[in-house]
Amino acid sequence: MRNTFRGGVHPDERKELSREARLRLFNPKGEMVFPLQQHIGKPAKPIVQKGDQVLVGQKIAEADGFVSAHIYASCSGAVKNIEKRRVLGGGMADCIVIDNDGQFTQIADFSEKDNEAKLSDDEIHQRVQDAGIVGLGGAGFPTHVKLKPKNPEAINYIIANGAECEPYITCNDQLMRTHSNEIVEGLELVLRLFPNAEGVICIEDNKPEAIHAMEIAVSNKPRMKVQAMITKYPQGGERSLIQAVTGIDFPITQLPADAGCIVQNVGTLYAIQRAVLYREPLFSQCFTLSGEAVKEPANFFVRVGTNYAELLAECGGVKEGVKAVKALCGGPMMGVAMGSLDVPVQKQNNALTLLAEDPVEEADKLMTACLHCGRCTTVCPVGLMPQLMADAAFMGDLERYEKKLFGLECIQCGSCTFACPAKRPLMQAFKQAKAEITAKKKQEGGGKK
Amino acid sequence: MSEVLNISSSPHVRDKWTTPYIMRVVLLSLMPATIVGIISYGWQAAAIVALAVASAVLTEWVFCKIVRKPSTIWDGSAAVTGLLLGLSLGPRTPLYLPVLGSVFAIAIVKCCFGGLGKNFINPALAGRCFLLISFAEAMSIKPILDTVSGATPMGALRAYETVDITKMFLGTADGVIGSSVLALLIGGLILWSMDIIHGQICFSVLGGFTLFIALFGGHGFDINFLLAHLCGGGVVMGAFFMATDYVTSPVSRLGQFIYGCLIGVLGGIFRLYGDTADSFSYAIVIGNVCTPLIDTYIVQKPLAYRKIGRTRPVKKEPFRIPKPVIALGIIAAIAAVALSGVYKMTKPTIEKNELQKKTEAYMEVCPGTEEFETVQAAEDMIAAQSEKASPRINEFYVGKSAAGEVTGYAMSIQTKGFGGKLVMTLGLTADGKIQKIAFTELNETKGLGMKADEDGFKDQFNGKGGTLKLGEDISAISGATVTSTAVVNGVNAGLKFFDSVMKGGN
Repeated sequence: MRNTFRGGVHPDERKELSREARLRLFNPKGEMVFPLQQHIGKPAKPIVQKGDQVLVGQKIAEADGFVSAHIYASCSGAVKNIEKRRVLGGGMADCIVIDNDGQFTQIADFSEKDNEAKLSDDEIHQRVQDAGIVGLGGAGFPTHVKLKPKNPEAINYIIANGAECEPYITCNDQLMRTHSNEIVEGLELVLRLFPNAEGVICIEDNKPEAIHAMEIAVSNKPRMKVQAMITKYPQGGERSLIQAVTGIDFPITQLPADAGCIVQNVGTLYAIQRAVLYREPLFSQCFTLSGEAVKEPANFFVRVGTNYAELLAECGGVKEGVKAVKALCGGPMMGVAMGSLDVPVQKQNNALTLLAEDPVEEADKLMTACLHCGRCTTVCPVGLMPQLMADAAFMGDLERYEKKLFGLECIQCGSCTFACPAKRPLMQAFKQAKAEITAKKKQEGGGKK
Repeated sequence: MSEVLNISSSPHVRDKWTTPYIMRVVLLSLMPATIVGIISYGWQAAAIVALAVASAVLTEWVFCKIVRKPSTIWDGSAAVTGLLLGLSLGPRTPLYLPVLGSVFAIAIVKCCFGGLGKNFINPALAGRCFLLISFAEAMSIKPILDTVSGATPMGALRAYETVDITKMFLGTADGVIGSSVLALLIGGLILWSMDIIHGQICFSVLGGFTLFIALFGGHGFDINFLLAHLCGGGVVMGAFFMATDYVTSPVSRLGQFIYGCLIGVLGGIFRLYGDTADSFSYAIVIGNVCTPLIDTYIVQKPLAYRKIGRTRPVKKEPFRIPKPVIALGIIAAIAAVALSGVYKMTKPTIEKNELQKKTEAYMEVCPGTEEFETVQAAEDMIAAQSEKASPRINEFYVGKSAAGEVTGYAMSIQTKGFGGKLVMTLGLTADGKIQKIAFTELNETKGLGMKADEDGFKDQFNGKGGTLKLGEDISAISGATVTSTAVVNGVNAGLKFFDSVMKGGN
């Protein structure tokens, strides 16, 4: 087992801003907004109506099909309306809006621990599905789907992802330090479903406290271990972890399960533990609010539906004398730039990063022609040749982009764009080329029908 | 928060590396070679380098003005081109040549093809080749440090003579301004260790070249022979600074390896069978123009599709020799055949020229001679000498006039002076008296031992015979007794050899 993958980059970590801030539950005062789509798959269907009284932990929307997830209220109060609201990414989407009464009355207190030995595998599956858990690392893929691969016997590794390779983000670090036993219990529950699997908790070596805490927690547990990884972006990418742990690279058309692996974020494992042993549905998750422009960077257990602006105010707002030029949902490498902070926190979100300077703006001024220096090829964790892909994309040669250069294998980690000394906008070109190819394929597929 | 937030695609942070940063590091890495060059060759070398850099930068600025593009001189690439061109010129090159070369390199090769990142061959090399072809005489490297033997190390190497590798390595032999192998290696290895240049290119160039020279050079893996070839003719500068130019080298690792080997082998072919000391530049330029071909066909597959380790390829493809390998193989074969053909045709001429040169040297000490003939007895005696004998007779000829009369005798004598090897020619009259002496190799102390080459010393020998004694027959050069003794001993050995030959027969 190696402790890293091929390629990668070393962005400035900036974790010192928030790494010692303890996780604390934040109770917002304003209205709470719950988008019906907070996961990959079909949007959930609302099961409450305008005027209904709801409690914390009450189901307000139900999964529509298997690849979908329930949504639970994270506050108590009356349903104000079900309407279009602005969400992350800038668009409008159907949301359930709840008038928060500030009481946070829970539907149950979720403190009674079930004996896990009495639970059958099916019950574990069922409880994960019922809790509406999705991948908390950022993608938001429904967890119960991930836990049902075609052949559970073929799974060799359950990888607990505590790498947290994005700069600024520290909430998983704090979660591992303070809730190590809960994470390990969550991993144990998942391991029960896969008889041949070994649990590997992967943590980047810039988090020695978390590694230490997790090592103590797994010390007397069979079938699991802690693996310290070299601090390098994108260490926390699903494929990077699998490569590091198993040495297997697999094409983008295959799933981690095809390589005998299932990767779960440590936050997700914590949620699984809460859901299975305490029957607590997912209505909060750990979250980092950091960046040079934030007055008091902090780590939270944030309630789903909380307004980003309210969360920022809780951190003291924007630092005096500093102008916030960019707000990112997530970290600076893969995060999405936000046009407005007046949007709700969704399940899969784990960070808000407020930058005082915009390196992209600087980079645009420094842009030169491509030197063909090959740094992008060196850092690509997938082994692609971004400079040739960019040439093909700019020239519109999508055939070469897809067939010869394997452009669709790009995991959009942004390492090439980060490393490019000529400051070329590589990722944008790739996103666009991918969108064009997908659109073309859809058109052709439709034509055949 | 009322301010407008910036929106852009991820990633939102960038590495500190920029194009000007890379160019600055390359400039710095060339500084050791530049400094050694200026120290070795003096102010004219400094002027050449400065002019090359200044005119390269100015040309780019003017070009940008003319075509109304924002000035790109700040990226530093023009300065790098200028510096590389300056370093690849001889230290006594007329000062208008670096300017012309830089203007050609920047205006024609770089800017006309679209500027940085778009040129199809290395601009500095293109500038150099342009000068080499257009101003062959002015571009030839004239010996200024080693005035006695009258040849640059590359010239000597190509004439199959021995060269001083240490001097070539340090950069104190005659050559281009940036000819210090040590300084170039320091800079090149720094660049390599910083991941600015690709090891696949520079080491495959050096490897390919060395292997070719070893296989076809006729000396096998003779380390001195290989080192002499590696240290000369811009191989090191080419491998580390020219072939590794980003824009004109392939991007895939395999492509870079093929490209490097191609340059190395072509360089070897040109060196062994070609007719110019500047052949390595042409090898790199040919490599440059093959780059688009290599990049089109040789593309590395993503890790998941490679057959290494435990990867699981989706489907297997039957192995085929990549087209570019075939194409490049053919190109290389054609070049090799063409060059060896040219060599065969020109070989008799070359040999005739070399004989002519030697004859001229003997003519000087043995005037009035039309033809030199060997004497069997003398040949036997030369062969009978011990390998380490000093003084040692290298050659012995009888000079004859057109009418067939003996006009005198000429011989080449090798001995040891204060500064090492000392080779002289001794001319005798028909009756065995000294006609004249001359030196073909003299490495003595400047101002002292080197005075041996002055007529005041040499003319003392004229007309003398028998066994000469220093202090009586010949007055020594003051402060250079060792040199004087060596010369006198050499001459005495020559006279004695002549006597033996005369007694032995004929």
